[in-house]
Amino acid sequence: MKLLINGVEKEVNADPDTPLLWVIREELKMTGTKFGCGMGLCGACTVHLNGQAIRSCITPVQSVEGASITTIEGIGSVDQPHPLQSAWQALNVPQCGYCQSGQLMSAAALLANNPTPNDEDIMAAMTGNLCRCGTYPRIHAAIRQASGQAESPMAATVAYWEAQV
Amino acid sequence: MSQQDNGQCLSRRDFFKVSATTGGALLIAVQLPGCASLPAGQAENALRPNAWLEVTPDNQVILTLDRVEMGQGTMTGMATLLGEELHVSPDRIKVVFAPVAEDYRQPDYGLQITGGSTSISSNWVRLREAGAAGRMMIEAAAAQLWQVPVTRVQAIDGVCQVAGNAAVLSYGELASLAALQRVPSSPALTAPENYRYIGKQSKRLDAQAKSFGQARFGIDVQLPGMRYAVLSRPPVAGGKVKRVDRARAQAAPGVVKVIETACGVAVVAEQYWQARKAQRLLDIEWDHGELAQISTDQVFDCYARALNDGASDVRDEGDFEAARVTADRTLKVEYRAPFLAHATLEPQNCTVHITKDKCEIWAPTQGPDIARAVARRETGFSSDQIQVHTTYIGGGFGRRLTQDFVAEAVAIARHLDTPVKLIWSREEDTRHDHYRPASLHRLEATFNAEGKVTGWRHDIAAPRILDHFVGDAAGAVAPGWTPQPMVRLAAGLAKLTQPDPSPVEGAQDLPYEIANLNVRYAKADAGIPISYWRSVGHSTNGFVTESFVDELAHAEGKDPVAYRLALLPATSRLRTVLIAATETAGWRQSLSEGRFQGVACHKSFGSYAAQVIEVSVVDGDIKIHRVVCAIDCGQVVNPDLVVAQMQSGIIFGLSAALYGNITHKEGQVEQSNFHDQPILRMPQTPRIEVVIVKSQISPTGVGEPGVPPVAPALANALFSATGQRLRSLPLVLA
Repeated sequence: MKLLINGVEKEVNADPDTPLLWVIREELKMTGTKFGCGMGLCGACTVHLNGQAIRSCITPVQSVEGASITTIEGIGSVDQPHPLQSAWQALNVPQCGYCQSGQLMSAAALLANNPTPNDEDIMAAMTGNLCRCGTYPRIHAAIRQASGQAESPMAATVAYWEAQV
Repeated sequence: MSQQDNGQCLSRRDFFKVSATTGGALLIAVQLPGCASLPAGQAENALRPNAWLEVTPDNQVILTLDRVEMGQGTMTGMATLLGEELHVSPDRIKVVFAPVAEDYRQPDYGLQITGGSTSISSNWVRLREAGAAGRMMIEAAAAQLWQVPVTRVQAIDGVCQVAGNAAVLSYGELASLAALQRVPSSPALTAPENYRYIGKQSKRLDAQAKSFGQARFGIDVQLPGMRYAVLSRPPVAGGKVKRVDRARAQAAPGVVKVIETACGVAVVAEQYWQARKAQRLLDIEWDHGELAQISTDQVFDCYARALNDGASDVRDEGDFEAARVTADRTLKVEYRAPFLAHATLEPQNCTVHITKDKCEIWAPTQGPDIARAVARRETGFSSDQIQVHTTYIGGGFGRRLTQDFVAEAVAIARHLDTPVKLIWSREEDTRHDHYRPASLHRLEATFNAEGKVTGWRHDIAAPRILDHFVGDAAGAVAPGWTPQPMVRLAAGLAKLTQPDPSPVEGAQDLPYEIANLNVRYAKADAGIPISYWRSVGHSTNGFVTESFVDELAHAEGKDPVAYRLALLPATSRLRTVLIAATETAGWRQSLSEGRFQGVACHKSFGSYAAQVIEVSVVDGDIKIHRVVCAIDCGQVVNPDLVVAQMQSGIIFGLSAALYGNITHKEGQVEQSNFHDQPILRMPQTPRIEVVIVKSQISPTGVGEPGVPPVAPALANALFSATGQRLRSLPLVLA
């Protein structure tokens, strides 16, 4: 079976019903895409299929033969980061980091289809991606920053207070 | 834990040892006995050397990180402490994860664990001293080379120079000469007003790797020839396999082996998916064991019986019984908190390779030394035959202090001559967790004729986490030669003799001044596996005490903030956070139509937090609009990381307060995945504002203290909004 991943054709040898996620991680040894729930509930496994965000943990590999697949390894590099990856670093978005590949892939698909998403668009695109560490406010802020919009109302704020005792 | 309460607290001294490595690198070892508890028989090793800092001739500055990075930002925090005194920007420091070594134990626990929000506080002095000593030796080397007094040498940003002299040498160029210098015995530390990075450094060192999918978590470990394992565990905790028909699974494509272990039945295959598919072909009959019929109702019945049988004082001031006799009226209520799953987004996993005389483990673990002890028990190997590699961790929250996933993987690997990676499914992760303990609380307050509170009694029924933790932990504390029966004996003794603050923390230290105060505890354990869960006992006792004090305020017709301030001692640091949070939130001022606020404050892990939560309730639907959080964690090391941990704790706390509930029926956990055990998603997430109290007091925890005020602040807001006093978690409106 042939897969087109990040613009490169790869020959893979997996049972046809194997979820794409495991083929990417085990056979192709690209471990940026994560396993979180196996039911399409958490979004950690998000990749692009012909430019749309999909959950690779519930996508049989046979169903994507010949289609164009993009993973976190394919959207940018340290030298040439995707604007979202720059914003992610600038705003210290990741904590444990496990969900972040999936978050970035959902956000990248959103911006590819909608370069200046409003808050509703962002919420709709990102609601399928869980983060147990609670980085949602920073993800929201990073998407706004990467799309050149005004600062997110959810952006991290800090003020200082003089001790009184 | 392993702490000995025998008063053997060594005087606080720092010992530095230096050796030149073969590469000419400067290696500084720091030993700080402090008040560390030393396990019996190890006293002669108390002055043990351990290494954090290495400066190599090729100018790398390397920090060996003795804690694990699971999102809390400890990697950045530790590099900031070292870099401050070394005069090197934290982003220039390469961080490597420590191997298992006695030297890397967390000094308060005597175990190499990451927990209790203690990484910064326990390394606050020793890592800065390690950095200062290194810099002074580098300065001395430059002075020797240039034949100038050391006072003329300036070490800035990783290079040395002398004023008025063009010559510049990097730390790396000076490393081998520096290694020959005398080690300063008590290096002076930078005064707070001169900090260059502490209180300012805000760039996360792991943000880059985690923004490109490059951080390697436990589940990402790849080894040549590696197989994949899945494990069918007893559906009821404590159960075991009665009979298994493995023929169909064994014959499935890709299956290498079907293995029965004490933990269940494992299917090992060439690929993960092959193992999963073959697992469905296993035909297993289970012996469900003693918990076969247990239900959540029975757990709470067990707790109620324990309280009815009588609880023991953990704090007793004044005379509560007398206050009740003379009381004009009393308020008596019951609170309860459920079992909770950790739900780390990276499911439990572990990779193991066992050869004739070696066991190598790759694990996302919060306790690598306990992992090693568990492997010793499973293999019979000695400690030096077992190597544990820690990885980035996809969420910990206490789940990975329990080493069940390591024990399982080691037991499976014993039957294979290849490396094997065990991966849990989400359903397995939810159903076979070691949960935040459920607990039952009876509270009673007494009021005098003027309506003023005179007495507070809080009775708690809950299990002791230590009893569940000590079995594995004892093996890590005991010397390596200790036979397993002795380890089991020691664990049994610890259950009987070691105090465990977890069921009562946050309740016995109630901050309010009430004349007759009685907190009592009844041990009650229904047998459900439990463990530490972000903020531990504070997660329940914070909810109970801060909800009940709110009830008292309303009972007396007082404003909840003014009421708390009136009961808090004048010197309580809670006063500042309470004022900071409520003033920032505009407490009860100019709220939009339909918006209501609730407040709570709580001290945990040495830090003081207060939160104001603003909600609306429309047609029974709870919407959380805004959370203002004030935090006093002493000297701030990384301001943005403090903000991140408050955001994180609040969102974690909201998930628990709104949805968290693990229930049992016929011995089995009823939840399985994120559809029936949800956590907060982005659209439910409120705006969060953080206020940090300025302080130069030694730093205290930030990973956990943001959690305890969330549930009570929300419950108190919902009371304001609806008049319903919700005394059971999760918070569900009638």
